[in-house]
Parts: sequence; C-alpha cells; structure tokens
Amino acid sequence: MTLTLTHYLVLSAILFAIGIAGVVRRKNLLMLFFATEIMLNAANIAFAAISAYIGDLSGQLFALFIIAIAASEVAVGLGLLILIYKKYGTLDLDKFTVMKG
Amino acid sequence: MENLLYIALFAPLVSSLFAALFAQSQKNLLVGIVASLLIGVSFVASATLLLELAQNPKAIHANLMDWIVVGDMDVRFGFTVDQVTAVMMTVVTLVSTVVHIYSNYYMEHDRSYNRFFSYLSAFVFSMMVLVMSDNFLGLFIGWEGVGVCSWLLVGFWYHKKDETRDVNPSISPSWAANEAFIMNRIADLGLLVGIFMIYWNLGTLRYEEVFAHLDQLSHGLMVAIGIALFIGAMGKSAQFPLHTWLADAMEGPTPVSALIHAATMVTAGVYLVIRANPLYSTIPEVGYGIAVLGTFVAIFAASMALVNRDLKRVIAYSTLSQLGYMFAAAGLGAYWVALFHLAAHAFFKALLFLGAGNVMHAMHDELDMFKMGGLKKEMGKTFLYMGLASLALSGIYPLAGFFSKDTILEVAFNEHTYGIWFVLWLTAGMTAFYSFRQVFLVFLGDERYKKYGIHPHEAYNWVFIALAPLAILAVIFGFWKEEFMHFATQMLPVYEMSEHTHHMVWILIIVTTAIAVSGILLAYFKYAKGLKRDPKVENSFAYRLLSNQYYIPILYENAVSKPYADLSNIAWQAIDMKVVDATVDGIAKTIEKGGDVSRQAQDGNLSSYLKWLTAGLILVTLIAVASVAIK
Amino acid sequence: MSNILTVLIFFPLVAGLFGFMVNQKSIRAYGIAVAAAEFLLSLWLWMSFDTSAAGMQFVEKLPLIPEFGINYYIGVDGISLFIVIMSTLMTLIGIVALSIKENLKNMIITLLFLEVTMVGVFASLDVILFYLFWEFSLVPMLYIIGAWGGPKKLYAAVKFFIYTFAGSLVMLIGILAFAYLYHSQTGTWSFSLTDWYALLLPFDAQTWLFWAFFLGFAIKVPMFPFHTWLPYAHGQAPTVGSVILAAVLLKMGTYGFVRFSLPLFPDASVAYIVPVAIISLIMVVYTAMVAYAQKDIKQVIAYSSISHMGVIVLGTFAMNVEGIAGSVFLMLSHGIVSGALFLLVGVIYDRKHTKMMDQFGGLAYSMPTYATIFGIMTMAAVGLPLTIGFVGEYLSLAGFFKVSPVLTVIAGTSIILGAVYMLTVLKKTFFGPITHEENKHLPDLDGKELWALVPLVAIVVWLGVYPKPVLGPIDNSTKALVQLMHEKAQTDLAKQTISVSKNSAKEAK
Repeated sequence: MTLTLTHYLVLSAILFAIGIAGVVRRKNLLMLFFATEIMLNAANIAFAAISAYIGDLSGQLFALFIIAIAASEVAVGLGLLILIYKKYGTLDLDKFTVMKG
Repeated sequence: MENLLYIALFAPLVSSLFAALFAQSQKNLLVGIVASLLIGVSFVASATLLLELAQNPKAIHANLMDWIVVGDMDVRFGFTVDQVTAVMMTVVTLVSTVVHIYSNYYMEHDRSYNRFFSYLSAFVFSMMVLVMSDNFLGLFIGWEGVGVCSWLLVGFWYHKKDETRDVNPSISPSWAANEAFIMNRIADLGLLVGIFMIYWNLGTLRYEEVFAHLDQLSHGLMVAIGIALFIGAMGKSAQFPLHTWLADAMEGPTPVSALIHAATMVTAGVYLVIRANPLYSTIPEVGYGIAVLGTFVAIFAASMALVNRDLKRVIAYSTLSQLGYMFAAAGLGAYWVALFHLAAHAFFKALLFLGAGNVMHAMHDELDMFKMGGLKKEMGKTFLYMGLASLALSGIYPLAGFFSKDTILEVAFNEHTYGIWFVLWLTAGMTAFYSFRQVFLVFLGDERYKKYGIHPHEAYNWVFIALAPLAILAVIFGFWKEEFMHFATQMLPVYEMSEHTHHMVWILIIVTTAIAVSGILLAYFKYAKGLKRDPKVENSFAYRLLSNQYYIPILYENAVSKPYADLSNIAWQAIDMKVVDATVDGIAKTIEKGGDVSRQAQDGNLSSYLKWLTAGLILVTLIAVASVAIK
Repeated sequence: MSNILTVLIFFPLVAGLFGFMVNQKSIRAYGIAVAAAEFLLSLWLWMSFDTSAAGMQFVEKLPLIPEFGINYYIGVDGISLFIVIMSTLMTLIGIVALSIKENLKNMIITLLFLEVTMVGVFASLDVILFYLFWEFSLVPMLYIIGAWGGPKKLYAAVKFFIYTFAGSLVMLIGILAFAYLYHSQTGTWSFSLTDWYALLLPFDAQTWLFWAFFLGFAIKVPMFPFHTWLPYAHGQAPTVGSVILAAVLLKMGTYGFVRFSLPLFPDASVAYIVPVAIISLIMVVYTAMVAYAQKDIKQVIAYSSISHMGVIVLGTFAMNVEGIAGSVFLMLSHGIVSGALFLLVGVIYDRKHTKMMDQFGGLAYSMPTYATIFGIMTMAAVGLPLTIGFVGEYLSLAGFFKVSPVLTVIAGTSIILGAVYMLTVLKKTFFGPITHEENKHLPDLDGKELWALVPLVAIVVWLGVYPKPVLGPIDNSTKALVQLMHEKAQTDLAKQTISVSKNSAKEAK
C-alpha cells in the first residue's frame, strides 16, 4: 500500500478535527494554545502534501511561513499567558468574562 | 380716462395706507377727514366715468402690470370700466363716502378711530378691485380682500369676550368674524374651482375672451362652471345654507354693517351672476335654480325678521331677503333689473342702517327694540330718515324700492313662474310688516327706555346732511328706471315683457301695493300704540322657531363645528399619537429589544466565542459543500 | 467672478472656522456680518443670473474620483436659485433674531455650517455631492435641537436624525443602483445629474428607483405617515432651529421630487400620481385637522407645515408647468411664511416661556405691532391673494386640477381648513379679553425682532403683488424640465399626462 495524497489529507483532517474539538471543549488557556497549534500543523501537513502532489514548491514555502509564525505566536502568547496567570492566578477561560457586550 | 380709472381705484388704497400710519396712535381727526375726502375723490372719479360712459358707451380698459405669468397662464392686473362696473363703482363709492363721513360721528369716542378708517378704506379698495377687474382672478383678489376686511371690521371690537347664545346670539365679535371668514372660504373654494374649469377649458380668465368663446364648451361643462361660480356667490351674498354669518356679522360697528353687510360686499355675489350673464343665459336651468333659491331665501329671511327683537338683526335679515330678490331677478334673466334693485337697495338699506346707528348711539348700544319706543320725540330727524328708508324698502310709490321691487315681481310674472311670483309677493307684505314693526317699536308708543335709565340724544346736524344724498336717492332713484335700463342694457341683455304682462301690469302694481300697505297697517295696529307682549304667542313653537333662526346655527354647531373638533382630537390623540407615531417608536423599540436580546451572546467568555466561531466555520463549510453539490 | 457659487457654498464654512477665534462679545455682530455678506453674495448671484435662460448657470466641474465619474459639479437654474437665496436669507434672519444666551458662539458657528450644507444641497449637480450635503445637513440640526432644545430635546433630536437618516440610506441604495444601471447601459461611470437626465430606463427599474428616492424625500418633506418626527423636532427645537427646519430643510424633500424624481423617472412618476396624490391629500386634510386640535401654538404651525407641504407635493405631481412652477414658488412662500410664524411664536415664548394658547388672549391690546405682523403672516399662510401665499397655492391647485378635478377639490379644502386652524390661533391668542394679568404689560416687539420680521413682511407683500421677478426664471426652468420629461416619457400615459406649455421653453444653450 502506497501513501497517496488522500492519506495525508485524511490525517490533516483528523488532526484539524482534534484541534477544533480542543478549541471548543477546553477551558484552559494553555490547552487552547495546544489545540490551535494542532490545527496549524494540520494545515501544514495539507500544504506540504498538496505541494508535493502538484509539484509546486510554494505550498511547502507556506508551511515554513506558518511554522515561523506559529513559533512567534507561541512566544508572544506564552508571555501573555504567564502575565495573565500572575494577575488572576488561573488560566480558566470562564473566569475572564470582563468584556461583556 | 385711464387716469380717472386709476384715481377711482387707488384713492381708497392711499386712504387706507394713510390711516394705517396712525393706526397705533391716539385719535386723529385728520385721519377721518382725509380718508373721507379721498373716498369722495374716488366717488367723483367713478361718477365722472359713469357720465362719460352714458355719453360714449365704449368700455375703458387699463392694464396695470403682469401678475401671474406661468406656463400658458397669463394673468394681469387688468381693469375695465363698462356699464355694469360703472354702476357698481358709483354705488360703492357713494355709499362709502357717506359711511366714511358718518363714521366720523359714530366712532368719535372709539379708541381705535384711526385703525377703523384704515380698515374701512381698505375694504373700499378691495371692493373696487372686485368690480373693476377684467378677469376672474382679479375678481378673486377683491373677493378675498373684501372677505378679510369684513373679518377685520366685524371683529373690530376684538376685546369682547365670548358669551353664550342666550346672551348674545353672535357669541362675540371675533367669533362672528371667524365664522364669516370661514363660511366665505367654503364658498370661495367653489369660485376657485369654477376659475380652474374656465382656465383649463378656455385657456384664459379675461371676461371678454371667456364669454366670447363660451360656445367651445359643452353644455355639461357650462352647467358645472355656472354652479361652481354660483357657490362662490352664495357665500358672499349669504344665501342659504351659508347665510348664518350675515346676521352674526352685525357684531361689527354699525357703519360697517351699512357699508359691507348691506350695500356693497354682500351684493358681490349678485354682481358675479350679472357679470357672468352670457354664461347663465345659455344655461337657463341653472338660472332657474338660482331664482328658486333666491326666492326661498327671500321669504326664509323675511320670516326670521318678523319676530326678531334685535334692531340690527332685523335689518340684516331684510338685507338677506332683498338679496334673494336680486338673485330671483338675475336667475330669471332680468340682469339689469337685478342691478337696478342692487343699486336702489344699497341706498335705502345703508340709510336704514345708519339711522339704526343713530338709535344705537342714543340708546347706549342697546339693541333690543322692546326696550325702546317713543323715540320720535327726541330723534325726529332720525325717525324721518328711517321712515323714508323703510317706505322705500316696503316698495311704496314713489320711492326707489317700489320701482325696483315691482319690476322683479313683474319679471317673475312674465316668466310664468307664478310660484316665485306668489312667494315674492307674500314676502313683500312681510317686508312691509317687519320694517314698520321696527319703526313703530323704536319711534312710537310708550317710552320703555326710561325704565332702563337711558337718556337718548339726537345725532349732530351735520350727520343728517351727510346722510342726505342717500335719503334723496332712496326717494328719487326710481324715476331713473328708464334711463338706467337704457344705460345698463348696452352691456346686459335687454329684458322684454310680454304683451300679456303689459296688460296685467296695473293689476300687479295694485296687488303688490295692497299687500305692502296692509303689512304697514298691521304693524301700525299691533305696535304703534305701544308694546303689548303676548306670552302665549311668544312661547308658541313657530315663534321660537323663528326667533332661534330655525335652529340652524345650533344645528351647524352640533352637526359641523363640534364633530369637526372632536374628529380633530381623535385624529391627533388616537391616530397620530397612538397609531402613526407609536408605530415608528415601535419599530425603534423592536430594534432596541433585538439588540438587547442578541447582546446576550456577547458574554465575554472566550470559549463560548470560540464555540460560535467553530459553529460558523462548520456552517460556512456546509454551505460551500452544498453549493458545490448542487452544481 | 466665475466661481461665485463655490464661494457661496464655502464662505460660511471658512467664516465659521474663523468664528472660533472671535470672542464671545462680538460673536453676534460677526455672525450677522457673515450671514449678511453671504446673503448679499446670493443676491449678486441673482443679479448676474441670466433670467431668460432655462438651463444651469454658474456651472463648475472638477473631477473628484474620475474612475467613478464623481465630480465636484455645481450650478443653479431658476428652480434652485431662489431656494438658495431663501436659505441665505432665512439664515440671516435667524441669526438676527437669535435670542438664546448660552453658548451663543457655538450656535452661530453651527448655523453657518448648516448654511454650507443647505446651499450645497441646492447647488449640487453631482448626485454623490448632493448626497453628502444632504446627510451633512443633519448634523448641525441634530446639534441645534440636542443642545438648545426643550425638555425632551434628546428624544426629539435622535428621532429626527435616525428617521431622516434611515430614509436617505434607502435613497443611497437608489443612487448606487441608478449609477450601476447607468454603467451597464453606457459603459462608463457617472454621477452627474445632467448625464443621468439623458438615460432612458425601463419601466420596472424606474418603479423601484422611484420608490427608493421617494422614501428618502418623503421622510424629509415629511409626508404622511412619515411625519411624526416633525412635531417633536419643532416642539423641542429652539426658535432658530424651527425657522431653518421649516423654511429650508423640509424643502430639500420637495426639491428632490422636482430635481430627481420627475426628470429621472417620468414614466414611474406619472404612473404613481394617484397614490402620491392620495398621500398628499391625507397630509392636507388630516394634518389640518390635527393642527386644529393642538393647544400649543408652535405645534399648530408645525402641523400646518405638513399640510402645506401636501399642497406642494400635489403641485409637483401635476406634471404641467403651472403646477410645478407653482409648487416651487410655494416652497419659497412657505419658507418665508412658516419661518416668520415660527419667529413670531418665539417672540412670545421669549417673553412668557410658554407657547400654550390658553396662557394668552387679548394680546392684540398689549402687543399691537406683534398682532399686526402675526395677522399678516396668518393671511399669507391661508393664501390670501396679494400675499406671497396665494400665488403658489393657486398655481399648485390649478395645475393639479388638470390631472384630477375631484382630488383638487378635496385638496382645495386646505383653504378652508387652513383658515379654521389659523383663525382659531388668532382668536385664542390675540382676541377676547386679557385673561392673565401679566399679559397686560407684555412688551411689544423690540428692535431686534422688528429687524428680523419687517423684511419678511415686505417680501410677503412684494412677491404677492409682483411675483414676476421670481416666477419668471422658475417658469423658464420649469418649462425646460417639463419639456425634458415629455421627451423622455416612454409610456403613452406619461406622454399624455406631461403637458408641455404652448409657449415652449427657450433653449438653454
């Protein structure tokens, strides 16, 4: 059995679904972070796979971009997380309902 | 000639503006004198024009300037003096001059003496515009102008407060003024509609052109125009059912009643019908309707005069009744006869009113004739004048009313409209009765006023000199009937009596004079010896019906004014506020409520936002998939 | 001076900005001077106006966004010229008569900014420019009502703003749709009104666009049933706000009908004469009744405005020169007369701080000059011949008589019902005995008030007796307008109804 494009895309979809489930279900900010990272990486897999499939490198280029952005996002995001934890002593999302409409 | 026309027209305007300059200052005798002189100038100019026309029967035209020039509409301030106009001008300015001079006496102690002259002269100007204009819109200017002046003058003593109808049947001067204005406006709408019809069908409003092209109109259209114009005439001339304002207008100062509500303005409707004679001649069925209505008003108004106790109201009803005579004549096609009666009536009715003004002054503004009596002793000259005027009004030979009224009766007979003839004949008797009932109640019998501590005094001598022209004309005007007929029929259609009528004419005269004389005799026996009141008569249904004006004012109040006020309130409170505005506010509130509800979604919890986001994402994906699938 | 119109539009803006630097004491004199200069400038415009030509004059055109055909494109013809002059006049009169004490500086600057938008609306020939001025005009008025108004000022101001704004948004959609249709027919973008005039639209498109524009204009006019913002706005606005609102802002709506609805959608306009006329009749009769029921003098005049605007709309939809020219003239006369009446109500409000009729009575005794001017304006309002009110009302009704005699008779009741409510005001306020002791010594008009009112009285009489200087140019431009509509009309009905006058218009070029 060879690995076809479909397999990669299915993997990407599964990872993405896991990410979404995490985003929807998790209340801890840190876990949400993980979930978004999973989703990003799901997209990366899809990018890289399709790029290889149609022989166009720009997809893989995009994946690299995303990795870079994700890294910087994590750097900033984690910093903010620490600050929030210091200020409120928790990372539970339900506690941060200050901005009401 | 044109200059004379302009002098006649604008002298009253100058007079009005001059008096207006002093409107807010103390009484200034100069104002009264200058105003009277200027109106006199206008009279001289008018009379000269009349004589000129008698010599050289060619109408004079003058074009002052453009007024409304839009699209195909071209209305100018154009004036014309033909035979009809000249008669009207002379009558109007003559009576106006006398009334102006008389007002110097009547208003001498009034705080607003100057203002009064301003209004009065403005009225004369408007009336001149009305009769001199050569087009329908010019007539409409004067028509509305006299309406406003009448409004100003009826409401001249604006400071009086509203009374109930039992105390004062006219409620108050300002109320009566508004009533007059609004009733006239109702009729003016008819006139305006007539003007619109003429404009859109003939493309012009000038009398000459309109009457020259009448044959372009269908019969139905002419009937419509005739009716519309007559509705206008009904308002100004206070014909049933728009008649109630005239009696209430007696709230104005008496010179005003004499000038506006007897001699001039109220005859404007008759003037309009006479002016539009080419139209009404082609639609005799409308003319007949006018005659019937006029006849009805003649007896209807006379009946109310029979029992009224108010000095001025009796004369007002008699004016109404005489206007009915004029419409009867005009409606039957005898236009010059209507004009003749109009002129004669102006003279003796103005005289009658001004005499009543003397009585009012003497009685300290008391109007109830039951509180007068025996005034002959103190006021011999006024008795003479009012007696003359009443004789003329009753149609006794050789006074003016005999000739003019008798001719109307002959016309009615000649047209074989014996019903009209009979009613008018009956009215002649009633006229004689109520006129002399008034004279006898005021001047003869026991001196009832003494009970009320009133000390009557006669007016100044110069007042009687000023009134003399009217008195003389009331006596001799009738002898000019032939000349008048020749003069007027240069412009108006000739009216021929049939052979049969010529044979009957002496019988008619005798019959008419007989009923008039018996009316006077009846009044003499009933009232000359003093007032004997009979409570049984006064409480009878007929008496109360008549003295309450057939309950028509009350009917109007309950059937028109009050429902209108109630409906207005409903329109405002119930519809405008509760429905229209509430709907608008309702929409605004719905949006606000919607915002309130959807605001709940904005709960500030990041994780629920993320759920919404995911739900949205899935929705969009599904739509995308679905749209691909459908394709 | 070739760009006099631009100067006319933006001079008050510049002067208003400089006004911030003028100190409190001299701001009143400054405001009067600026408004007077602006008014004289507009008179100069009239003097240099070629009254025999029918087309647009003083035209200026500068590209703003050429890609979309949006230009700074202005000009006036006989129809808009006099409304511009009336706007500058009423602003001047309003500033002269100003009686407020607090924040006078802000008020004067706001009025000057308002003047910019008013002149701009009537001078714009580019639809986007028109729309911009149209919307900008709301802001100063919102501020005037909201800052100097009565006890319910915020409610009234917000209602005024949102209501008219909502209407104009629908109109904006109409504008964009029209531009899109123009693009799809001609391949180029243009928002120039003169280009739009040349476009022939299918009847369906005309219908939709007609009603979109109609909604925007109708709320502004205001037409029944969109009128309820007006009594609140008038009831709460300070005197000067009511004067400008009644005199000029309402005219934007009826001006819109003449400038946009009729020439852009001639077939739809003709097809919907009857519904529009019925709405107008409701305005005429129903609001006259509502006016009669009012107890507050200012509310009577506010509702009477709606009633008169009904006659104006009726005249506009007469589809002949008499009616349209009459309705334009009636816009001017109603502006002058209702402006004067609101000023007059302001006079007693300043003295007694109430506008309720039952608080007065017998004022003719203590304030004779005031009563006289009020009487003259009343007579003009009820359309007495030889006052300014008659000419327009007569022509509007005469024009519509050709379309429908029956409806005109119903509309003609305005001359009766108008007399009913106005004379009632006069009777309750000025006649009868003086019932309140303090009214015996109310001071008559002072110098400031006379300076504001006497010129208006003069205009009322002058244009009533000799309307030709104003009516002539209006007549010329209206003839050209009707000619254009007649040429554009596609349906038979429209061809028949739009009646070109026999002495047809002189060509513009």
